Amino acid sequence: MVVDMDRCTGCQACVVACQAENNIPINTETIFLQRRVIEWIWVERYWEGEYPHVRARYIPLLCQQCDNAPCEPVCPVYATYHNDQGLNVQVYNRCVGTRYCANNCPYHARFFNFWQPVWPETLRHHLNPDVTVRWRGIMEKCTFCIQRIRRVQREAARDGRTLQDGDITPACAQACPTDALVFGDILDPQSRVAQLAKNKRAYKVIEDLGTGPNVIYLKKVDPYAPAADHDHKH
Amino acid sequence: MRLGKGMRIAILLGGGFGSALLGLAVLVLVVPRVVAHYSWSVERLFRQAPAQPIAFSHKTHAGDAQIPCLFCHRGADKEEAATIPSLEQCMFCHRFIIGTTEAQQAEIRKVIEAFNNREAVQWVRVFRLPDHVRFVHEAHIRAGFTCAECHGAVETMTEMRQFHRSLKMGDCVGCHRQNNAPTDCAICHY
Ligand code: SF4
Repeated sequence: MVVDMDRCTGCQACVVACQAENNIPINTETIFLQRRVIEWIWVERYWEGEYPHVRARYIPLLCQQCDNAPCEPVCPVYATYHNDQGLNVQVYNRCVGTRYCANNCPYHARFFNFWQPVWPETLRHHLNPDVTVRWRGIMEKCTFCIQRIRRVQREAARDGRTLQDGDITPACAQACPTDALVFGDILDPQSRVAQLAKNKRAYKVIEDLGTGPNVIYLKKVDPYAPAADHDHKH
Repeated sequence: MRLGKGMRIAILLGGGFGSALLGLAVLVLVVPRVVAHYSWSVERLFRQAPAQPIAFSHKTHAGDAQIPCLFCHRGADKEEAATIPSLEQCMFCHRFIIGTTEAQQAEIRKVIEAFNNREAVQWVRVFRLPDHVRFVHEAHIRAGFTCAECHGAVETMTEMRQFHRSLKMGDCVGCHRQNNAPTDCAICHY
């Protein structure tokens, strides 16, 4: 996945779409105050610059589907592993909730179900039947809407065609009004993500840890950056 | 070492208290977890052939009348769920077929009434997998499996029963291995 920071406005549409698509429990105020919020994709806000030249910055973060995922080797029951499509999979019914993976994930992309999820009665029928409702005591995280990936793969197999770039769209990318999130196969040189990844603005979040993240961010370029910006000092 | 009488009583009492506590802990912490975990299997044991609001006989339809499974379960070769036919679909035939025996007529009348009153029939689900398993009918039908391979000889059943397969993971994995189907966990679990 490629995230173009120049397009992201921090509107949180991706967060809501993900919440709806993946049966993510509602984060009530109590849960928020307990710091037990579950969001598979979330928009981090940070400030850049010195007063008076302060700017709010937004960065959508999600599981980076690391090539060398630190969450995997610490799982005692192999509930999380890499599949042959390079996806960092989480098998919910295998997880026993040791939470080692969450401790080892440098992106804080894993969430523990401290409570049995409850939805208000009015939302009972809004659950997505294609996704497991995770119960209390297990770990969960973004899997790039694997239910959509599976569906498209199956439909392609049925119709006897090969997958095209753009066939699979995760809920977050679909909901993004500015098209900041792009999903595709990075190994296919013709795909949109592969093209975007060649951009000179491309970087990966805390890549120096050696996790090999598979989400590529495109740096924000600010035309109105103050002259005192340390990037332009020399 | 000789223990005083008071001490022995204390140990006995303590032991009794300890095991009572342990018993309570098992009762409060373990039993609900086990029940919750196996509710699916327990349900499966006791609901082999649940009573339906309308006594629908697969023997009459699939057996005697030889209606193909896919005529009614139209999702089976297109979708994840095999789907239960709508009342409109029942009425394709039951507009004209009103049954020969008294009992049949009574049941068919229920169908017609429900259709006329625009009511949905509250069928009781017979085949059910746990929520964390995705079974896709379409892919299995496409791979050339017949319905009977998992559902048994439905055409002989007056009451629909789930009995044919163990539906344990080993059953699925064994079949996938035999048929060179993928055994990646994420094929079924997500
Ligand atoms: S971002 Fe965290 S959860 Fe995702 S693969 Fe990397 S270490 Fe694992």
